[in-house]
Amino acid sequence: MSHDLSLYTVPHTATIREAMERIDANKHRVVVVVDEENRVVGTVSDGDLRRAFLHDVLPIAPVTRIMQLNPHVTTETDPARRHEIIRDEQVTVLPVVTDDNHLVDVELAYEPDF
Amino acid sequence: MRHVAVIAEGRMTYGYSRPVMRAIETDPDLRYSLIVTNQHLLPTFGYSIEEIERDGLNITDKIYSTLDGYTPATMCKSLGVFLISVTDALVRLEPDIVLVVGDRGEHLIAALAAAHMNIPVAHIQAGERSGNIDGLTRHAIARFAHIHFASGPDAAERLRRSGEEEFRIFMTGAPQLDELVNGDAAPPEEIERRFDLKLDKPLLLVVQHPVTEEFGDGVEQMRETLEAVCELAYQTVLIFPNNDAGSDDLRLMIERYHRPFMRVERNLPRDVYAGLMRSASAVVGNSSSGLIEAPAFHLPAVNIGNRQRDRARGSNVIDVPYERAAIVEAIRTALSPAFREQLLASDDSPYVGDGQVSERIVEILKTIPLDEKLLRKQLAY
Repeated sequence: MSHDLSLYTVPHTATIREAMERIDANKHRVVVVVDEENRVVGTVSDGDLRRAFLHDVLPIAPVTRIMQLNPHVTTETDPARRHEIIRDEQVTVLPVVTDDNHLVDVELAYEPDF
Repeated sequence: MRHVAVIAEGRMTYGYSRPVMRAIETDPDLRYSLIVTNQHLLPTFGYSIEEIERDGLNITDKIYSTLDGYTPATMCKSLGVFLISVTDALVRLEPDIVLVVGDRGEHLIAALAAAHMNIPVAHIQAGERSGNIDGLTRHAIARFAHIHFASGPDAAERLRRSGEEEFRIFMTGAPQLDELVNGDAAPPEEIERRFDLKLDKPLLLVVQHPVTEEFGDGVEQMRETLEAVCELAYQTVLIFPNNDAGSDDLRLMIERYHRPFMRVERNLPRDVYAGLMRSASAVVGNSSSGLIEAPAFHLPAVNIGNRQRDRARGSNVIDVPYERAAIVEAIRTALSPAFREQLLASDDSPYVGDGQVSERIVEILKTIPLDEKLLRKQLAY
């Protein structure tokens, strides 16, 4: 199924605080960072935020400063196979991308319960 | 007991001074204080101060000095902030010697401060040529330094010819090679696991910094390299550039070209970087490690553009312009069995590394008379 991507992404110009707000809203402990052409450039998780906090990085700093640069992504079309990756890699949000890394969807470990 | 103040500003030069600090730690007649600044303290570069902390070194000062923006003006202004702060640190620490390394601005600033305060300055990796603002910085450091540690005979000769007195010049070799020669490199299995690689397939290690003299051209230069890397589509580990002017745009470019066969890293511990060099098929870009450290691993280096223009090099280096076709061609040559064979047979690196460079440096720091003769420099051309 297709998801509201705005809930799971922030632009690479976002601040750390904006990423934090998005994570707070999506209840998946992570958010995908995309550039202006919607390419996946990284992810930020609760853990990254905690680490930034411990290093006294301010919430107004750019999210690109603290994001993970090598997130697990997939070009897999089969949902069952995607869920295997989610289990193997223990991620809550798996970005689904084209061959040149454009975000087309996200696969979720669990559906949100808003 | 002599007290040496050491400056660390970034991952590259840390590799120069760490083996020396380790050697000082085992010497009862010496102690050191480590002043950490610039890249080591920045999240964008992966908080590399954590590596120093893990190494258990004696960090006495953290000097936050870097202005955001990464333009020529912020780069220069950041050095001004560092000058003010490092002066206070030296007043407090009262070292007998200040040890600076390489060709980066913070080391020039520390040398400038120490020389004004009548504290002898010792300089590792002195006298070489390098391109960029760095090349000017290295030789400016030489004018303020009282003790020069040269990595090879060519560098020592250049110091003599630039008016430095013979008794100040020591041909010690390059201390950053000590750890490599002594086998301090992450094993291939760890490299494979950490980066999710298959080492029976070609592996490129890409490190490309902005060239300060060519400010504004960095994005196009980086594009050529990344296009070449994408065309070949080998496994690639790509490391963020340093924070020189123009580096922000290069990082954006890397984000744009990030493909599934690439791993992008902000910063890597020295031993992991060394392990990558040992496991890689070629290093690509404009890092000095392709010229200085790569020969220790018989690793081909595809050196792009002008950043290393004037630096001495061995036959592991293939020089190419900023053109994707030329870069592709050079990488293919570097990976060819013929080139590899020739590389294994030759041993022509201009950098001396026998695993005992740090000991030689420490012996000199310990015994050189710290007297008026040392402090009073005469520049006789």
